[in-house]
Amino acid sequence: MEKQSFYQEFEVFSKRTATANFQHQFSLLAPNGEMALVMAQENFMRREPVVDIWVVNRKHLHGLTQDSKQALQRLDNKDYRTTKGYGYLKKKWRHYEQVMLDEKEILSWAGGGEKNE
Amino acid sequence: MNNEGTPDYKKAVITLLYQLADDDYLFSYRGSEWLGLAPHIEEDVAFSSITQDTMGHANLYYTLLEELGEGTSDALSQLRPKEERCNSLLVERPNGEGYYKEAPNYDWGYAIARNFVYTTAKKAKIDALKASSYAPIREVAMKISTELYYHQMHWTTWFTQLCTATEESRSRMIAALQEVMKDAGDLLSFGQSVTDITACELIESEAAIKERWLAIVTPTFEAVEIPIPELPAPIINGRNGQHTDDLTSAIETMSEVYRSDLAASW
Amino acid sequence: MSIVSQISEQELQEQFEARIAAGEKIEVDDWMPEEYRLALIKLISMHGISEIMGALPEKEWVPKAPTLYRKLGIMAKVQDEMGHGQLLLRVAEDLLKPYGKDRGDIMIDLFEGRLKFHNVFHMETKSWGDAGLIGWLVDGSAIISQTNMLGSSYGPYARALQRICAEEVFHAQHGEAIIMALAEGTPEQRALVQDAVNRWWESLLFFFGPASKDTTGTSKQDLTIKYKIRVLTNEELRQSFLTKYVPRIQSIGLTVPDPTLHFDEAQNKWIYQEPNWEYFKKIQRNEGPCSQERLALRRSSYENNAWVREALTALVN
Repeated sequence: MEKQSFYQEFEVFSKRTATANFQHQFSLLAPNGEMALVMAQENFMRREPVVDIWVVNRKHLHGLTQDSKQALQRLDNKDYRTTKGYGYLKKKWRHYEQVMLDEKEILSWAGGGEKNE
Repeated sequence: MNNEGTPDYKKAVITLLYQLADDDYLFSYRGSEWLGLAPHIEEDVAFSSITQDTMGHANLYYTLLEELGEGTSDALSQLRPKEERCNSLLVERPNGEGYYKEAPNYDWGYAIARNFVYTTAKKAKIDALKASSYAPIREVAMKISTELYYHQMHWTTWFTQLCTATEESRSRMIAALQEVMKDAGDLLSFGQSVTDITACELIESEAAIKERWLAIVTPTFEAVEIPIPELPAPIINGRNGQHTDDLTSAIETMSEVYRSDLAASW
Repeated sequence: MSIVSQISEQELQEQFEARIAAGEKIEVDDWMPEEYRLALIKLISMHGISEIMGALPEKEWVPKAPTLYRKLGIMAKVQDEMGHGQLLLRVAEDLLKPYGKDRGDIMIDLFEGRLKFHNVFHMETKSWGDAGLIGWLVDGSAIISQTNMLGSSYGPYARALQRICAEEVFHAQHGEAIIMALAEGTPEQRALVQDAVNRWWESLLFFFGPASKDTTGTSKQDLTIKYKIRVLTNEELRQSFLTKYVPRIQSIGLTVPDPTLHFDEAQNKWIYQEPNWEYFKKIQRNEGPCSQERLALRRSSYENNAWVREALTALVN
């Protein structure tokens, strides 16, 4: 016989700051999303900044079984798609008296970077 | 018109501050009696934040009173006898029969109805206080309104959901609302000093506050299809120092340790 | 499509023990031996319900706390205890799902005496000194016990404990603040805290449980240590408590009500008078000073609120 209760599990996610990603916090029991929302912050984020919250009923989450987590394995032979695979260029550019446009340099262009004189 | 700094103005400020402070303090006190006893653990945790916030609000007002030379927050909140208290009757009412420590018969329906009515009334006043002629009150009102948003959202959600869930919950909520309204007569009243308080433009008239409250609660009552309850004329008016034995026992309990040595540091 | 494996129970057990040995974290849907699941359910639901029950003696001091700051501190602490209970019960509830049991069943187990709550919360709180002592030494003991399990093999428990331990630091300091004010205060205030220490000392020794089966007849330590749910034994934890706290207690001029208590260099351990473990067993049977009163409080509020649960059930969507 199906037991009746209001105990729906809601997973709570929150964003710390405007530029941050949502991160998972914990789960709580609530009858519906509205109730879950009015309990989320005080249950899990009392002592930290919060700018946004998601609550998701666990039944709407799709995840991996213990076995199928094996699908996440990969070999460490993929330098072709990381900067590590192209490190030799630094020496080449130095030979042509040019700076290497590496990750550090490119990300420093955020917000317009430095203006040319 | 700038009559700030006159003795009459100062007196009106102090009178209003005691009402606002004592309201939040007693409301918080009653909220704290629910600790550990709410019908749902996650709600217990959330409710506690609201209770803490509200005590913080009371402290903001008591601090303004401190700055006006009335005494320390601790003394003002804990020591003043019943006749000097200016809170509404609604917030001194117990949560139900029985002392909170001995298997009390607290009613969640009453708690939700009281919390909803009190918080919406508080919102009406806070919105008006943002235009108070007294700058420190304006600042406090701004601060309180930031936390009040969540309180209102929280209690409105519970109120709405319980009013529409089952036949039983609906009839219990209607009965609880009736109980609450019996003691809400002085909630939006400023007592015998109302003329001075409004003349000094510390807050809007009682009629204007009442209009604000109606505007705030109408959507909720329409959504749950319950007629907006009448605010009765106060039979006894807490703003004028008229209170019940419920308040006496609350004051006794809250000041028990503090009174044991007023000079000590805790 | 699932990949069917014809793997035996014994092989599963061996693989599981290898995972434990390798320091891997077990998650809620992973295969686990039934004895592991049951040990976790027993430990974590007792831990969780103890937090919920522990809120009751503490909340008594909120109305009576002598300043607004202290009232707020205790409110925040009680809130955290309920919050810790919530985290732990969620972990236990997820483990109970395969048995079709939920939070309601946990509450019934509590009321019918099958689920115990920690012995320390069966005790009376007599004075403001007790409120401070609880925050200082009871939470101090809880910190020692909980940090012992931070590396627990069961992932959800370890993560819950991470949150819990972070908040416990505030609890300990809140308790210390109350005690410090009393210890540095008037003679009456000093007497208040010394009296609290005297009355709570036995409970603090009970806190970590019996050293071995010989003391009370049962102990679940071996299984929980085998599966790396916890690290140190009950006695090791108690010794750690004495090392950390006896010097501090004495440093502020308080005494411990045990004239035999001393650290033996040769044996490298604290020697102390054993508390009355028969009394401990009595408390475990819910016959402590406040056991029935607090259970009655929980039960009556649970029953009074049945209509709310029914209403919330109708609101599920």
